Amino acid sequence: MTKKTGISVPEGYFAHLETRLQSIPGREVKPTVIQKVSPWLAYAASLAVLAGLGNFIFGRAAATEEEMGLDYISYLSQSLDPDGQIELMETPALTEEDDIRSYLIASNISVEHLNELDYEEDY
Amino acid sequence: METLEQVFNDIVKKYSERLYWHVRRMVGTHEDADDLLQDIFLKIWTALPSFRGEAQLYTWVWRIATNETLNWLRREKVRAALRFQRVDEELERRIMADPYFNGTDAQRELFKALARLPQKQRQVFVMRWWDELTYEEISAITGTSVGALKASYHIAQEKLKLNLSQAEVSK
Repeated sequence: MTKKTGISVPEGYFAHLETRLQSIPGREVKPTVIQKVSPWLAYAASLAVLAGLGNFIFGRAAATEEEMGLDYISYLSQSLDPDGQIELMETPALTEEDDIRSYLIASNISVEHLNELDYEEDY
Repeated sequence: METLEQVFNDIVKKYSERLYWHVRRMVGTHEDADDLLQDIFLKIWTALPSFRGEAQLYTWVWRIATNETLNWLRREKVRAALRFQRVDEELERRIMADPYFNGTDAQRELFKALARLPQKQRQVFVMRWWDELTYEEISAITGTSVGALKASYHIAQEKLKLNLSQAEVSK
């Protein structure tokens, strides 16, 4: 293999090259793309951090409310026996006086109380 | 005490021509080499205030030049890929069209074969064969061990010989 490459340069190229390269320190250095966009990237990053923080805080609050709601429901379901729940759900609307009395009887309301109720009604 | 500008001007005087030939052999055409050389010296100027003298100035300057050249080749590879082309074919095409190439057919084939080498092998081959740097110098510049450099150089030389003999046969 030969070390000769057959490549050449324009006439007087190296004479001008030094002058051209030595003018670099006086040149205004163009900002790179990264340098141009970095302030915007910083703003975007700040917004993303704030959004993330907000999401974290409000998300936590919502989650806590939800957990509390779930806790209340589970408390109710534990404290009421299944029959009780059904009874509550199946209690009919009390519209007539007789129905009210039947309800009171079923709920172990004493006769005295019922009489008092009749007495009060007479007045 | 020398100012930064004086140090920079000394670097230009000492290394510009030698670095031009290194870059030219790596990238192929005069136009690309000229553009890249300006980028390299701009990089040297901007990095000069952070030069702490831990490495020799010579090694530091060469390191910037070789890194910038490899980065340029990587960018070209990406550009070629975006056009669904191969970078070695694109470099070959540019060498063929370069008005400042006036070598023989054999020299043209050598350049084409060089463009087909992987970047690191091409770098080691150019630095050892044409720039005539020692393995120790290349090692200090590239941070690669002397053993690995010798192996790369040997592989590159064998590939070039093979490519050149194949080109000869196909004529």
